[in-house]
Amino acid sequence: MDVSQYLEIFLDETNEHLQSLNTQILALEQDPENMDTINEIFRAAHSLKGMAGTMGYKRMQTLTHDMENVFSEVRNGNIKVNADMIDVLFQCLDALEEYNTTIRESSDEGTNDNSALIKRLNDIMNGGAEPETKEEAPAAKAADAPADGSALQGIKLNENQQSVLSEAIKEGKNVYGLTVRVQEACILKAARAFLVFKAIEETSEIIVSDPSSQDIEDEKFDLTFSLIIVSESELDGILAASRSVSEIEDVTGSVLKLEDVSAGGAPEEPSLAAEAPVQETPAPAVPETPAPAAPESEPAPAAAQPAAQNQAPAQTNAPAARKAPNKPVVNRTVRVDIEKLDTLMNLVSELIIAKNSLVSASAMSGNSSQAVNEQIEYLESVTTSLHESVMKVRMVPIESTVNKFPRMVRDLQKKLGKKMELYMSGEETELDRTVVDQIGDPLMHLLRNSADHGLESAEVRKERGKPEVGSIFLDAYQDGNNVVIEVRDDGNGIDTNAVKNKGIERGVITPEQGEAMSEKEIIGLLFNAGFSTAKVVSDVSGRGVGLDVVKSMIESLSGEVEVKSRLGEGSTWTIRLPLTLAIIQALMVEIGDEKYAIALGSIQTIEDILPGDVKLVQAKEVIQLRDLVIPLIRLNEILDVPSKKNPEDNLVVVVVKKGDKMAGLVVDELIGQQEIVIKSLGKYISKCKIISGATVLGDGEVALILDANALI
Amino acid sequence: MSDVKEALDELRPVGETTQFIVIRLGEEQYGIDIKYIDNIVRMQHITRVPKVDDYLKGVINLRGEVIPVMSIRIKMGLEPDVETKSSRIIILKLEQQGTIGVIVDEVKEVVTLENERIEKVAYDSMDEKSNFLSGVGKSEGGLISLLDLNTVVLENV
Repeated sequence: MDVSQYLEIFLDETNEHLQSLNTQILALEQDPENMDTINEIFRAAHSLKGMAGTMGYKRMQTLTHDMENVFSEVRNGNIKVNADMIDVLFQCLDALEEYNTTIRESSDEGTNDNSALIKRLNDIMNGGAEPETKEEAPAAKAADAPADGSALQGIKLNENQQSVLSEAIKEGKNVYGLTVRVQEACILKAARAFLVFKAIEETSEIIVSDPSSQDIEDEKFDLTFSLIIVSESELDGILAASRSVSEIEDVTGSVLKLEDVSAGGAPEEPSLAAEAPVQETPAPAVPETPAPAAPESEPAPAAAQPAAQNQAPAQTNAPAARKAPNKPVVNRTVRVDIEKLDTLMNLVSELIIAKNSLVSASAMSGNSSQAVNEQIEYLESVTTSLHESVMKVRMVPIESTVNKFPRMVRDLQKKLGKKMELYMSGEETELDRTVVDQIGDPLMHLLRNSADHGLESAEVRKERGKPEVGSIFLDAYQDGNNVVIEVRDDGNGIDTNAVKNKGIERGVITPEQGEAMSEKEIIGLLFNAGFSTAKVVSDVSGRGVGLDVVKSMIESLSGEVEVKSRLGEGSTWTIRLPLTLAIIQALMVEIGDEKYAIALGSIQTIEDILPGDVKLVQAKEVIQLRDLVIPLIRLNEILDVPSKKNPEDNLVVVVVKKGDKMAGLVVDELIGQQEIVIKSLGKYISKCKIISGATVLGDGEVALILDANALI
Repeated sequence: MSDVKEALDELRPVGETTQFIVIRLGEEQYGIDIKYIDNIVRMQHITRVPKVDDYLKGVINLRGEVIPVMSIRIKMGLEPDVETKSSRIIILKLEQQGTIGVIVDEVKEVVTLENERIEKVAYDSMDEKSNFLSGVGKSEGGLISLLDLNTVVLENV
């Protein structure tokens, strides 16, 4: 069979599985008893094995097969997870990763058998007591169990619902548990369910349903769903009413008593044991161990049987089906080549340029009618939403990039002999796919930097009264039109004196300069090429090629990086990235005869300033704005264009902000706000730092985009 | 006449040939290898880019793409360009520098030169222009200096 056409998919999926294995094995190290994790790992290893086998990668298959075997033993409780085993597993992952890389490069898995690893895996296996014979046992048990599991167990009541039910019973109302079974041939299950809901609601109040009403609406249920209702009417009437809905196979119900309602004891997990026949839902937390079966005293009525049968095949099917049921059903997705998205994005850009041309053409002709204006406005709103949607499609959570860091920190810990822990938050923060792909290296550098230079050794930390285990934090969040990623540690912080001395020693600055430099400027030195303060050059944090590369990589993504540090307390590296790279809202301004765009995101305010209000501080022009002294930048001087304005005219000042720094840009005139498509000037014109790009205006002319960050 | 020429052509050993576009800069004619040429467009408004070398005239919009434009004249140390009706911008596609436009005074014709009729020029430190030439070709119209595009567009360091 020719499988080459599946190679891309194979590689992608292998990557995903490896990533998941990495994460899960790390989790397993923390919590070796967690059955969910073990199952997840088993599942990933199993899928990997299957995929490798299909593609004919024998060596990869053998390795994953042995990994799978080890996990099957762990799952059966024959072997315990220990540190040694985790190490071996990580090495296996590295080996698999290597296969993957080799396959990507040559579409062949190479000749490395990794026999040493396989031997170690087998050793672990043999260390375990019993052979594989028991493998099928738990699965079978799990399959059998649900049939006699207790009925309404699946429905979780929160305290509120519990009290409503108890209240109702006390008031003499009836509480019923209902199970509705839809015909198998039913096409619009959700619609039928809705009709049942409606029929019931005529006489009763629905307190809770399983699955939740939202899930039922989304058709996220099998053939049955259960309800707990409060009603004053008789059960039979309600049952008849709901059975009258077409394509409903059966509705069964029973009366619930106070004990049933409040049963379940512990408030965190109040489950409802009842006589009513209800679809069995495995207890959410631990799918393997069947929920403690409630007394089987009540006869299981007819409807329970098919429901249980329904569940059974799903249970035996494959380990895949044993995912914790409380996890949301995976969204339906389509894999799309990023190049297709790029094309789409380019087309949207073209469309926006065309729209801008239309706007300016209509403005030029002067006699534009109301109708044309309305249509143009409509077109504008459509293109803007189209752009937003395409952008959203391109956005992926940074998760895929940051997920490898816990593993990296774990490895660093061993290598550096320091104790440390990585805490991450905001992994779900989304960024453009291209940015996410490229942000990994700079982040890795910063983390390594924190681990190597930032955190002190355990002894020093103890002396300083800090917890022995150092903490590194990686926090990501969205802030307006930016995404902020912070790498923070509670280590030593930056020793500005050491940096200064190093700078003088390296000849980056003179001793006199050093004296005059502020702390901030000294920290800025770290981003200079060829600057490393580590006393020993290690393979962990480079030879001082690190931070300048970090800076330039982030700047190439139109982002910026800042450091804040307190000696002895730690440092924080803040990376700020724009949400989008391609299309932005900008303010168009005129300077002399030339038009420039300034990104709206960096603009604070626009001020009209009298020439007399401009003051001189240290021979530099400043203005005072609500207690803030803001330096003025006369753009016509910086851009070498003669200004059209007289010196006695009022100044138009665009106040821009970068981090906590502000500056007032003096322009001749404001043209207006416009959505612009950013085009690169190309590497041929890269010398001009204050221009971040260009854009094509509606009339076909090119306007340059001023980089406010570089101006400040 | 043409019959004679054809007959002669057939008699000659058929060697490798290269096509050049002949352009005029001031009084001199130069040849640009046709394989680097993407497009030839009329002069249009060039948006100046501040703070760059003076031979970089700015950027233009070519079908939605922003393309840098340079002046060969300034780069080669000739008089600055004077825009006339015959001025054109030749869009070059180069492997290293990407797409670049160069301003020429006039585009004259396309010639096909056999490679053996192209002579290398010796580097002459007295003549600044010789830096920018890859050779001299002989055609019916006389001698054509062939531009070495990689040196022409190379950034001044």
